[in-house]
Amino acid sequence: MIDIVLEGIWSPIVFILVILITTLVAYILYEMGNPSYKRTKHKGEPFISGNRPPKDIRKIHVPGDNLFWGFTEALKNYFEPLVEGHTGKLNDYMYWVVITLAVVLIYIYMAV
Amino acid sequence: MTLESILMTLPYITVVVLFSLGLFTVLFKKNLIKIIMGIALMQNGANLFLVSLAYRRGEYAPIFTSAESTDMVMPTAHALTLTSIVIGVATTALLLSFVIMIKRHYGSINTDDVRRCKE
Amino acid sequence: MSFDIMLHTPTFILAMPLLFAFLTILVSKFSKKFGEMTFLLGLLLTGFFVFLMSYRIFTDGGWIYTFGAEEVTTRNFFRITFIADGFAALATITIAITAIAAGIYSFGYLEKEMSSDKFYTLFLLTLGGVNGMVLTGDLFNLFVWFEVTSVASCALVAYENYRGRSVEAALKYMVLSTVGGLVVLFSIGLLYGQYGVLNYALLSGSISRTFLDKLALALLLVIFAMKASSVPMHMWAPDAYGEAPGPATPFIAITSLGSLFVLFRLLFGVFGVGIDTAAIGAILVILGVLSMFVGVTMALVQNDLKRLIAYLSVSQMGYMMMAVGVGLATLNTVEYQNFGELAMKGGLFHMINDGVYKALLFLSAVAVIHKTDLRSLNDLGGLAHKMPYTTMFFLVGALSIAGIPPMSGFSSKLLIYQSVYLYNPILAVIALVVSIITFAIMGKVFFNAFLGPDQGLTDGEVSNVMLSGMAILTAVVILFTLFPNLVVSEIVTPAIEALTGGVLP
Repeated sequence: MIDIVLEGIWSPIVFILVILITTLVAYILYEMGNPSYKRTKHKGEPFISGNRPPKDIRKIHVPGDNLFWGFTEALKNYFEPLVEGHTGKLNDYMYWVVITLAVVLIYIYMAV
Repeated sequence: MTLESILMTLPYITVVVLFSLGLFTVLFKKNLIKIIMGIALMQNGANLFLVSLAYRRGEYAPIFTSAESTDMVMPTAHALTLTSIVIGVATTALLLSFVIMIKRHYGSINTDDVRRCKE
Repeated sequence: MSFDIMLHTPTFILAMPLLFAFLTILVSKFSKKFGEMTFLLGLLLTGFFVFLMSYRIFTDGGWIYTFGAEEVTTRNFFRITFIADGFAALATITIAITAIAAGIYSFGYLEKEMSSDKFYTLFLLTLGGVNGMVLTGDLFNLFVWFEVTSVASCALVAYENYRGRSVEAALKYMVLSTVGGLVVLFSIGLLYGQYGVLNYALLSGSISRTFLDKLALALLLVIFAMKASSVPMHMWAPDAYGEAPGPATPFIAITSLGSLFVLFRLLFGVFGVGIDTAAIGAILVILGVLSMFVGVTMALVQNDLKRLIAYLSVSQMGYMMMAVGVGLATLNTVEYQNFGELAMKGGLFHMINDGVYKALLFLSAVAVIHKTDLRSLNDLGGLAHKMPYTTMFFLVGALSIAGIPPMSGFSSKLLIYQSVYLYNPILAVIALVVSIITFAIMGKVFFNAFLGPDQGLTDGEVSNVMLSGMAILTAVVILFTLFPNLVVSEIVTPAIEALTGGVLP
């Protein structure tokens, strides 16, 4: 048996105070920055690896399919059966209930 | 095993048959109307089960009679059965109305076609 | 004898939604405005009685409210009981907060809808059904309220019946609920045939480890876990949540939460006394871990805004099942003192937390869908320019569901992590990973829907009525964020005492 005593403190108000103080310090540091810096005319434009931003404003935004694409592509073998398992057929939904019921029944008769 | 004890178990056997027939229909039939028929079969099985449980030999139905109150059976199971029948009518009606609307929208009542909600 | 209103509050909590459900549809025949007022009055009265009941429970302790015979005698079981204890208070408070917020929100959402009176009626019927499920003290009533909830909430899902998908989702939900209800009825028959009683307290004294009792336990456990959208029986949930009409979506999720409350009540109060709880707790833990992990990974590949949040909701259900499962597995052992009670605190605190922030997330997602008519994350973007308040509300909900400190979701998840770690370290690791993936998903949604250049998808913010509905939930989330200790000691601890102390006779 692991012998760990639960200790420690969690206080959201202290946490929020710490966040506020940190923000304040960061702001002071920001204000102490070099005042000779000049903003360029490209201010506010998205930076796309130095390329010029496209005219059509919709093309700047990354659509939902592309986010985490690498992650889902790498774990394709895990995701595909899951997505295809949700077939949308009523019978399949019922199968899952009956299968779970059978497994739980067997477990309860063996273990309880 | 006497004839009487066999006769006493007959309702329970019918319950099991009805319930498993209903479950079989819900699981393996593709037609939505048939699935609802299966649910109705299961409902009847459950109701028969409750009514069979409520029967006590030598006791009276709890209707206004001259029988002693201690000779009457507890009507809890009967009340439960009546409630279940009423609820069964409501659920079956709602399910059938859903099927009517599905037929209008999808043009089919086969579960293989009614699967736009997936993934 | 004087009429003690405090004593009768459980009846009013059930009577008000049912009465006003039919009053609303009657009054709406004459004037839509008055119909809405009636609906709001019904909701607020229900909330008021929930408040009164909880106040009495927290000050004087719980009580059993009976219709019929006061005492149990040998041949006299004609009594219908409602249990008003700490656990019922926790459940009804969660339900009432969500219902009031979603109800106010629905005025704005259904402004142009002609048949909004039917929506209000179904909403109140669902509210009455869920309240009945969590308050009832015998299996007969449980079955009745279970079916009331099923019928009303399925009709609510199919409210937008001009879309085929919503009818399809409602049909699936309804078939599963009806079959589930019949299985519940069957197991009620099993218990009644053996012991001749249906009352929780009387049943808990008689239940032992017989063949039929185990059968009834397994049937009830699986069906209520199915209603609580536990993987692998979760498939109806994303369909139903995704296709339900906007303001009703958090409320359909609340019916799942209500089923989970009932499941815990049955496992602790009825079966926990006579049957060894370690194995039942393990089942809950396994179902919970499956729900957490599968739910969150399925959410990762979703692109439909509401469906995505629905999968996250499935995943959050897993946290509660796991935490309370650990509590159940260690019940009546030394380990319960060490970490089991902490796990219970985390689990039940997470339930009330989750009910609120999930409703906030659903409502702000619905506001986006309502304003833009777009559901896919591929089409959305740049909404923060025109909808600043909705963005803020969504951000609060998103940070809370992802368990980012200092939000309320973190407080309850922290309790779960540290207690579950002592039961089995792997569970805590999975819970942390799931939380991180949740944060990634919320980042994706927030980036896709709200950030980026303004694409002109919307002409402005949603109406003030809808904003006020979300503002109520945001206020509650911030309240839970700032005072987690207060919530745990005042609301959650009485609930745990009521749950583990057995059902009042």
